[in-house]
Amino acid sequence: MNAATPSPDALRAAIAGLPTTHHEDWKYTDLSFITDIGNQWLDQGASVRSVGELPDAAKKIQKKIDADWLIIGNGVVDDESLAAIDQPGIAVTRIDPANDEQAIDSPLADLNTALLPDRLLIHVSVDAKQARPIGLLIVDNADSATSMSAARVKIELDAGSHTSIIEFHTSSGDEDHYANSIVSVKLGDHSSIDYVRIQDRDRRHCQTGHLAVSMGRDSRFDHCVFDLGGHLIRNDVHIDIAKPGASASFNGIYLAGNAQHIDNHTRVDHRVGPADSRQEYRGILSGNARCVWNGKAVVHVGADGTDAEQANHNLLLSEKAEINAKPELEIYAEDVKCSHGTTIGQLDEAALFYLQTRGLSRQQAKEILTRAFAQAIVSKSPIASMREALAEMISTKLTDIVEGAPE
Amino acid sequence: MLEIKNLKVVIGDTEILRGLSLSVNAGEVHAIMGPNGSGKSTLALVIAGHTDYKVSGGTVRYKGQNLLDLEPEERAREGIFLGFQYPVEIPGVNNAYLLKAAVNAKRKYQGLDEIDAFEFLKLAKEKMALLDMDTKFLNRGVNEGFSGGEKKRNEILQMAMLEPSLAILDETDSGLDIDALRAVAKGINALRSPDRAIILVTHYQRLLDYITPDYVHVLSEGRIVRSGDESLALQLEEKGYDWIREAASA
Repeated sequence: MNAATPSPDALRAAIAGLPTTHHEDWKYTDLSFITDIGNQWLDQGASVRSVGELPDAAKKIQKKIDADWLIIGNGVVDDESLAAIDQPGIAVTRIDPANDEQAIDSPLADLNTALLPDRLLIHVSVDAKQARPIGLLIVDNADSATSMSAARVKIELDAGSHTSIIEFHTSSGDEDHYANSIVSVKLGDHSSIDYVRIQDRDRRHCQTGHLAVSMGRDSRFDHCVFDLGGHLIRNDVHIDIAKPGASASFNGIYLAGNAQHIDNHTRVDHRVGPADSRQEYRGILSGNARCVWNGKAVVHVGADGTDAEQANHNLLLSEKAEINAKPELEIYAEDVKCSHGTTIGQLDEAALFYLQTRGLSRQQAKEILTRAFAQAIVSKSPIASMREALAEMISTKLTDIVEGAPE
Repeated sequence: MLEIKNLKVVIGDTEILRGLSLSVNAGEVHAIMGPNGSGKSTLALVIAGHTDYKVSGGTVRYKGQNLLDLEPEERAREGIFLGFQYPVEIPGVNNAYLLKAAVNAKRKYQGLDEIDAFEFLKLAKEKMALLDMDTKFLNRGVNEGFSGGEKKRNEILQMAMLEPSLAILDETDSGLDIDALRAVAKGINALRSPDRAIILVTHYQRLLDYITPDYVHVLSEGRIVRSGDESLALQLEEKGYDWIREAASA
């Protein structure tokens, strides 16, 4: 399939509609850089280029993590990889935009629509035996011109089914790039999904991602997100619990060094009970990194038996690093259990000294302690088979950002 | 091995060591006793290289070099081991991982190959048996959720693995029940050797029932006020630290 060229007028309108920092949800994340990328791209004709040969980083992922990889390059689904997906009970198809409504109502979803991405549907039936996870390898290449791309995926699980999904974002190229992804997950009754998302983009590139999950009766959503790269990153996770017995666990880690901005906004709506949601996000920041964590849980009238837990822990390795952490609980029901905790701190000097007295250099000691801090999230991550690869990726990234942190 | 002359140490504006001198040779076991606040732990931490303490005077030489020039990790690789009074809990860092990293840091410094996994496990199990430690402790986070006694055994295990030239054991006996005390003492005694020196920092004479020191020093108000053999410890036990304070101020 050839890439469609977006309509300049629609694109211009969508870009003009992006929220500014006057909007409460965007107070700490300024999208004007993304607006600039869009305008520049429009000036250059806003044409979609082929991703070309896969960059080494993407090939490495395919080798390291065992999954059926479906490649989306510069917003275009790779036909060969699409045809290669052959698992019983799992059907991956393109959706005709004419028969598809925009599931999420937001300026970023409007922009996604204007970017005319290939739209995919992953349908999972009870016949899915789950031999291997389905991997979405979202690759962007901006080596010849400034560009934008988008991905749009719907995942639907029939009642009683189960699947594992890996979403991996990577990019290369010296020019500016912005990627927009929208993923919606619909969990049927008694179904479950293990979902791991990794963002390891070039340190120049920007991304916004929106994941919307609607949960059926007694369904389970087990999610973990790893933000390792990127220049300006914003993740929105919205979970809607409208059936009793649902259980959502979503956790994440963000590692940010100089000139990186990573924003995680989560929102869970408990509309009925009993149901539980648990989230823990951890951040390691160095240099002049700026990160945001905003965790919102809304317990609606009548959602008795809700158990909502949120935690956010941050390790600041430099005085210039900044974290804006905000837990928000809105409770309109009577019989609920809600808790939240946020911490911001430095590495424990006593532990550093202890490790040094055992012959480890201060640098080595710092790396060990930051790795241990991150490991708490790796071990919560579903899809156990990829934890080792994740730990390795984190370790490499940490060596970079710990070294970059002044004493 | 260790030559401390007229050592003065301050933390903030407070002088804690006020002209301490001590000479320790290979093969010797020294016990340093003294009341709370006399500067015992400070001495141990200064030798290990803690940066909160500032040396304002005097010299410390170790194996012929100026010890105060070295970073804590360099001191460790040169063979100094500090057994902490309060070992730090490090959740998420596997005990076996730390032991292996510590052994290899030293080996690398000595120009030796890294220890292989099989050899490491064999050595660790051997040392753990000596200390009556269950091997399950290898797979736990460093000191994470350990009881007081387990933490102290873990310190001695690290010492046994690292085979230091100079071991300073800070209040290793505190908080131990009698079984743990015996196991720890057995571990320490097993490490006595003609090329190794051990400094036991302790408040009570109890540990010295199991480990006979060659020398006993009494520290009071930042100075060694009396030195003798093991009988000094017994005298202290009987007469209390006031006896020393009176003798020192007389």
